[in-house]
Amino acid sequence: MASGGAGGGSKSYSFKVVLLGEGCVGKTSLVLRYCENKFNDKHITTLQASFLTKKLNIGGKRVNLAIWDTAGQERFHALGPIYYRDSNGAILVYDITDEDSFQKVKNWVKELRKMLGNEICLCIVGNKIDLDKERHVAIQEAEGYAESVGAKHYHTSAKLNKGIEELFLDLCKRMIETAQADERAKGNGSNQAGTARRGVQIVDDEPQNAAAAGGGCCSSG
Amino acid sequence: MSQKSERRGIHVDQSELLCKKGCGYYGNPAWQGFCSKCWREEYQRARQKQIQEDWALAERLQREEEAAYASSQGAQTQPTLAPFSKFEDKKTNVTTRKVTTVKKFFSPSSRAAPKKETQEAKAPSPSISRQSSVETDKVSRDFIDFLKNLQKPGRDIHKQCRVFLDTMANKKEVSAEEQSEYVQDFYQNVAEKLQVHFKGSSDRVERVMDQVEKYIMTRLYKSVFCPETTDDEKKDLAVQKRIRALHWVTLLMLCVPVNEDIPEVSDILVKAITDIIEMDSKRVPRDKLACITKCSKHIFNAIKITKKEPASADDFLPTLIYIVLKANPPRLQSNIQYITRFCNPSRLMTGEDGYYFTNLCCAVAFIEKLDAQSLNLSPEDFERYMSGQASPRRQDQDGYLSHVNNSPSLGQAYQNLEQLSGLGERQERVLEGARRLERDLIEWSDGVAREVQDILDKYPLEICPPASAIDSDNVENDRLPPPLQPQVFAG
Ligand SMILES: Nc1nc2c(ncn2[C@@H]2O[C@H](COP(=O)(O)OP(=O)(O)OP(=O)(O)O)[C@@H](O)[C@H]2O)c(=O)[nH]1
Ligand SMILES: [Mg+2]
Repeated sequence: MASGGAGGGSKSYSFKVVLLGEGCVGKTSLVLRYCENKFNDKHITTLQASFLTKKLNIGGKRVNLAIWDTAGQERFHALGPIYYRDSNGAILVYDITDEDSFQKVKNWVKELRKMLGNEICLCIVGNKIDLDKERHVAIQEAEGYAESVGAKHYHTSAKLNKGIEELFLDLCKRMIETAQADERAKGNGSNQAGTARRGVQIVDDEPQNAAAAGGGCCSSG
Repeated sequence: MSQKSERRGIHVDQSELLCKKGCGYYGNPAWQGFCSKCWREEYQRARQKQIQEDWALAERLQREEEAAYASSQGAQTQPTLAPFSKFEDKKTNVTTRKVTTVKKFFSPSSRAAPKKETQEAKAPSPSISRQSSVETDKVSRDFIDFLKNLQKPGRDIHKQCRVFLDTMANKKEVSAEEQSEYVQDFYQNVAEKLQVHFKGSSDRVERVMDQVEKYIMTRLYKSVFCPETTDDEKKDLAVQKRIRALHWVTLLMLCVPVNEDIPEVSDILVKAITDIIEMDSKRVPRDKLACITKCSKHIFNAIKITKKEPASADDFLPTLIYIVLKANPPRLQSNIQYITRFCNPSRLMTGEDGYYFTNLCCAVAFIEKLDAQSLNLSPEDFERYMSGQASPRRQDQDGYLSHVNNSPSLGQAYQNLEQLSGLGERQERVLEGARRLERDLIEWSDGVAREVQDILDKYPLEICPPASAIDSDNVENDRLPPPLQPQVFAG
């Protein structure tokens, strides 16, 4: 809180969050529901659902959230790193009625951890909980897996608008924590204080771990 | 029109065909009546004059710029030193540039010359610098106007920018990565100062930063865009060649969710192509980004019209790839590198522009690595298409025909032809009518003339000679007594 507190009152954060997941798990539905409170079995009216923003105010801190949809087709898989470069958070969505889609999430987690280490906040999201009777991914398995890789797990339904606000709010809190830990680290070490200049990437692992732990505390409280 | 000029052509005097300069050669209207040789001389002279005027203007502006600041700074600092040195700086700049252009002509071994010299020899040709100096002046003026509203911090920013540009002028030989570092550090420094000044209002900081970027990058553009220290140019050519080799890729292969048969959609796609091509003509990273964004918005529109639902990344990216393949935008890699190196980072990282830019990077990466699998083709087919031995359209005759039938532009062409022939017929009819009318008119006037003649013949006009003429042929008139009083006749 040292440097974060000093500028804290008026400081605003900009976060980039990528959406990953197999086709048809409901990524687009989730963001549209969150940013425009819309759900349709066939989406309408919005021109595009690939880049959406939302402004939030969390504990007096202003947050600009930019949500990046990514092309999920297999042939675009290799482009992943270009998309998630510099992102502060990733939302990995699977469909609870589709076991394969959960497998895909596991692959993404592996890749993200390999490429970005611990500096990205991971959310694993089981969507379509309104279809619980067709569930094919066990709750314990999913939550256990998430914990084992340092991610948080969420249950959502874009259709019933369940769990979505919580998901994004929680993610934002965790990203603020991470950013503040970042500032602290920079304040201690180099003179590169402050702004987003290639920010999140230049940090070594240690303070980052501390941040992840802090994020856990914050979100549970 | 054509008749008129023909007629004039007939009256042309031999001397009018000759070069206006009187050198004895024939002139040409395309060269404003000069012969090619005299025209070149004439043109060069005018251009040289223009260049000199522009330089003079540039220097004057520079002085004014400094003076404006000096006066507004008042007694606070000693204003004389800075402007003077700046002015000198500019002058030396000019002379080195002139010298190096000459050097370029006289030293055929400039390739082998040390790095620094090649850098200098790359100084732009006068025509480019003329254009750009006009643009640069305008940008400088706008920048100063903008900063004036900011009062004291505006002056500070201006000073910071000037100092930074001076430092960069000495950093021409460093690698592109280092140049990028310098610029990015500079952005960060200015942004931090602004943060303090505006007490964290990031909108206002962004607004000023946009102006700073514009000013700085307009001036640095020539020396940092596609510099010789990098292989940007080589990459440009490679991508360009690659895209050319992929001319056969169809919408279907990429699963592009737009229907080009809808005229509105194909119009929008043309606009998207134009926008992405236009990117190369901009100098400021943000303006280049704006072109990408405009292109993307068109793509979203096209998808929306076709699919009637908002586009997701899985719709957008393939369409963007298709547009890039169709457009083959000039210096694509150089532009991407330039934006990456010199754009204000906050814009690239989280903004909407950044999203579209990232997708463009993805599109280029996809095109570079693209293989049979990524187009759902067999490796054999892919090879044959790539080598030009076969074309996906000719091979699949049905597909080809249906393509012809479905192609909206062909349809449009047929429609136009039909309309044209319709118009031709109607014109023919109008002409026919006109001719008939003409005939009728001639006939009528002839008829009238004939009738009049007939009547005249039938009732010849017998003109009774006037009474006074009764004695006119009387030769011995003078011998007659004086005529009687007129009242006698009247009576
Ligand atoms: N029952 C139910 N259906 C959902 C839910 N969320 C999304 N869907 C449906 O799932 C389908 C796919 O949703 P999208 O949002 O298009 O999925 P996506 O992940 O964006 O798919 P791609 O863009 O193809 O990658 C749509 O028909 C949605 O109506 C949900 O929470 N419950
Ligand atoms: Mg989607």
